[in-house]
Amino acid sequence: MEQEVLNIHVDLIARCKAGDRDAHYQLYKMYSRSMFNVSYRITGTQEDAEDALQEAFISAFRNLVHYRADATFGAWLKRIVVNKSINVLKKRRHELIPEGEDWDIPEEEIQGDYKEELTIDRVKKAIEELPDGYRTVLSLYLLEGYDHQEIAEIMGITESTSKSQLNRAKGRLREKLTIRS
Amino acid sequence: MKDQLEDFVHRNREGFDDRDPSPKVWNNVEASLGLKNRSWFNSLVLWRAAAVFFMALSLYLLIPKEGMKDNSLAMKEFTDVEAFYIQQISNKVELIREFQANDGLNGFTHDFQQLEAMYLVLREEMKTRPSQKVKDALVLNLLVRIDLLNKQLQQLEEKKVTTEKEQRST
Repeated sequence: MEQEVLNIHVDLIARCKAGDRDAHYQLYKMYSRSMFNVSYRITGTQEDAEDALQEAFISAFRNLVHYRADATFGAWLKRIVVNKSINVLKKRRHELIPEGEDWDIPEEEIQGDYKEELTIDRVKKAIEELPDGYRTVLSLYLLEGYDHQEIAEIMGITESTSKSQLNRAKGRLREKLTIRS
Repeated sequence: MKDQLEDFVHRNREGFDDRDPSPKVWNNVEASLGLKNRSWFNSLVLWRAAAVFFMALSLYLLIPKEGMKDNSLAMKEFTDVEAFYIQQISNKVELIREFQANDGLNGFTHDFQQLEAMYLVLREEMKTRPSQKVKDALVLNLLVRIDLLNKQLQQLEEKKVTTEKEQRST
C-alpha cells in the first residue's frame, strides 16, 4: 500500500516537473489541509498561515528537482512549510525565544490527573493561547512528530532549549486545562 | 516523558487538523507558477469539447455508410423486381419462338435486341453507381420489352387465328 502511494507520487511529481497543472493541483489538494494546520499552529493566525502555506507550496513546486525520494514527499513538504511559518512568525515578532530566561534548566514535570476529561477543542484552544515560542516547540514536538534535535535545527536553538521550552509549554498547558475545569 | 496529554494528542491526532485554507491560496500559487497560461491544455472542459467534436465527426463519417446500406437495400429490392420481369420476358420470348418456329417471322427482333443491349449498360451503371434514376430506367426498359413482347404475341395470335379461319374456309 505504501509502495503504491509512493508510486502515485512519483508519477504526480514527474507530471509536475513537466508543467502539468492538474498534477500540481492534485498534490496541493492532497497536502494543503494538513500543511495549513501545521502552519496555523506555528503562526497562530489564518492570514499568516495562508501566507506561509502559499510561499511554501510555490517554493516546493519550484524546487521539485531537488526533491529526492529518500524522504516521503509529505515530510519534505512539511519541512518547507515549517520553515516558512517560522520565518513569517519571526517577521511578526522580533524574536521567537526571548532572551534573559534561563532556558537550559528544564522544569520539573508536573504529573497528575486532569480534573476534567480532555477534549480536542479544549486542548486545541489551550495550545493556541500559548505564547509563540512555547506553541511552536510544543506543536513541532507533539503534533508534527519532530525530535528535539530536529526542532533545535529548525528553530536555530539548542536541544536543551528545545527540551526546556517543551516542558514549560506543557506546564502552561496543564495549568490552563486544569484551571478551566 | 509520556503523559496523559501526549497520549491524548497522539490518539486524537487527526482531530487537530480541522482548519482549511481559503481558495485564494491555490489561486496565488497557480498564478505565481504561471500554470494558468498552460491550463487550457489540461482543461477538462476543453477535453470534453474535443470529445464531443470527435463524436460528431465520427457520426458524420458514418452517414455515407448508412447511405451505402440504403443503396444495397435498394439493389436487393431491384433484383427481386428484375427477377420477376425477366421471368415474364423469357416466358414470352419462349412463346414467340414457338410461333416463329411455325412461320419464321422475326419482325420485332431488332428493337428487342437494342433494348436488351441498353439494359446491360444500365445494369452495369446500377452496380457501380446505384441510384433511383438508373433503377427507374432499368424497370422502364423491362416494361417496354414486356409491352413489345405482348404486342408481338398479340399479332402472332391474331395471325394464327386468321390463318386457321382461312384454312377452315378453304
